[in-house]
Amino acid sequence: MAIENNIWKLAESLVSGEIPETDRAELELKMQNDPAFAAELLECTNMLRSLEGSGRQKRFSAMLSDIHHEQSKAASKKESRSIPMRSHYLRIASVAAGIALVASVATFWTVKNTTTKNATQYSVLRKEVENIKRSQHEQKALINDIKINANSTNTAPEADAKFSGTGFAITNDGYFVTNYHVTEGADSIYILDNAGKYYKAYLVNYNAQTDIALLKVEKKSFRFGKGEIPYSLATKKAALGATVFTLGYPEDDITYNEGYISARNGYNGDSMQYRLELPAKSGQSGAPVIDNKGNLIAIVSGKESQSKGTTYAVSSGALIELLQDVPKEVRLHLPKSNSLAKLNREEQIEKMQAYTFSVKVYKK
Amino acid sequence: MQNPIDIEQQLLAELAGGGRKATEQVYKQYYKMVTVWIQQNGGSEEDAADIYQEAVTVLFEKAQSEDFRLTCKIGTYLFAVGKHLWYKKVQQIQKGPGRLGDDEGADWAYEDDIKSHQERESHYAQLDSSLDQLGEPCRSLLKAFYQQDKSMIEIAAEFGYTNPDNAKTQKYKCLMRLRKIFYGVQANENI
Repeated sequence: MAIENNIWKLAESLVSGEIPETDRAELELKMQNDPAFAAELLECTNMLRSLEGSGRQKRFSAMLSDIHHEQSKAASKKESRSIPMRSHYLRIASVAAGIALVASVATFWTVKNTTTKNATQYSVLRKEVENIKRSQHEQKALINDIKINANSTNTAPEADAKFSGTGFAITNDGYFVTNYHVTEGADSIYILDNAGKYYKAYLVNYNAQTDIALLKVEKKSFRFGKGEIPYSLATKKAALGATVFTLGYPEDDITYNEGYISARNGYNGDSMQYRLELPAKSGQSGAPVIDNKGNLIAIVSGKESQSKGTTYAVSSGALIELLQDVPKEVRLHLPKSNSLAKLNREEQIEKMQAYTFSVKVYKK
Repeated sequence: MQNPIDIEQQLLAELAGGGRKATEQVYKQYYKMVTVWIQQNGGSEEDAADIYQEAVTVLFEKAQSEDFRLTCKIGTYLFAVGKHLWYKKVQQIQKGPGRLGDDEGADWAYEDDIKSHQERESHYAQLDSSLDQLGEPCRSLLKAFYQQDKSMIEIAAEFGYTNPDNAKTQKYKCLMRLRKIFYGVQANENI
């Protein structure tokens, strides 16, 4: 029995972290030499952690219920608590109606977007952060833009429509580029860097036709990374079949994708674009497209709605045009050299991470 | 001036520690936003309150881990998780054909958090049922210690042990028995 007690004492001190360093080293040695003991101890510590976690959660839930009771007591209006059968069915019916409404709003959005791009197959990759994806309208893959809040105008400001895209630095002192459609109609724009920090940004210049926007981080002392931008802008159009990769933020984590140039002109023969075979999801709008030598050749901007891997990207030529078109007081020190050329892919990605980030857009 | 993200992080740290004030502040601040949405999407007032409480619990669990860092505002998180939990519930109510496929949830926001929440729930439920099979006084003793957060001194007084050390010895015996039942249950479920 003493041994049983000892193992629980040991497990308790392990779980609470109160075990002295010297004992810990000794214990680790013992566990290595005696796997049966190690397994037993592991079971004990796991169970203790579960007991503690479960207890903590129960206390928290009890507190929440208490808070809730107080709140509803404070705002008590006499209401009948019983729900007649009929209203139960009504509830289910209204859930179905809600879903139908969302679907029809999605369709409306599809039509609205496609009329601007003049076709049914082009979908921008801006991402509504709270979007809901649904399979029943698979042909209309434009569902990215479902406006779930369209029917709830009276929710708190936190529930405002919010979009996210990807941006990449163009100078180390705060200028960056994303798609124009990401920023369109924004009240405020923030970037969210890899360290999880938000920085407010403003629009410097844009071209709605080619769908690129130049922005700057407000904070004067802001720098994206330690050194200059590691990639340079390609001045000539890249060759058919060139291998390319991109880094973007379909979620909060930076995501890598690779592919190749499948046509030198983009959607409907648009010479300012490329067509790529490269998987991209919503949220990756504005992501840089880089070739093997570290040249920035394009910016992800849209995809073909009906295929999984076809993506359109605005060429760096269009970006250079936009950059030449900025007001005189804006001084852009563009990257001249490119420090990615001789690195392998992992190293290239590592170097680029600080210069690629998520762009968050808030709207009323 | 404190940065708003730091303020939220501070609030979350207090919430994670079970602080009543911080929890109350968070709970009240986003209550309307989430519950109104659920009611607009077919939930009753009670459904909305239940889902909201669950969402706050998911946040609480997530905030427990040491490497936890906020990647969005608390309100955004609660709204996304609440919405997701509600859609899962609707899915359960109407498992008809053509509705939200089972794999559809896969790319929703914070899917991982909700998955681990649900796994944890079922794990805790197993633990609770093991506790219930334990018999007295073990069941009450372990509940007093782990769920009601009572000290060994209080427990010794309440259960009539002459001193806290005796109560502790009894607790270890109880843990030993619980372990047999708990892992026995798990082993059976794995077959």
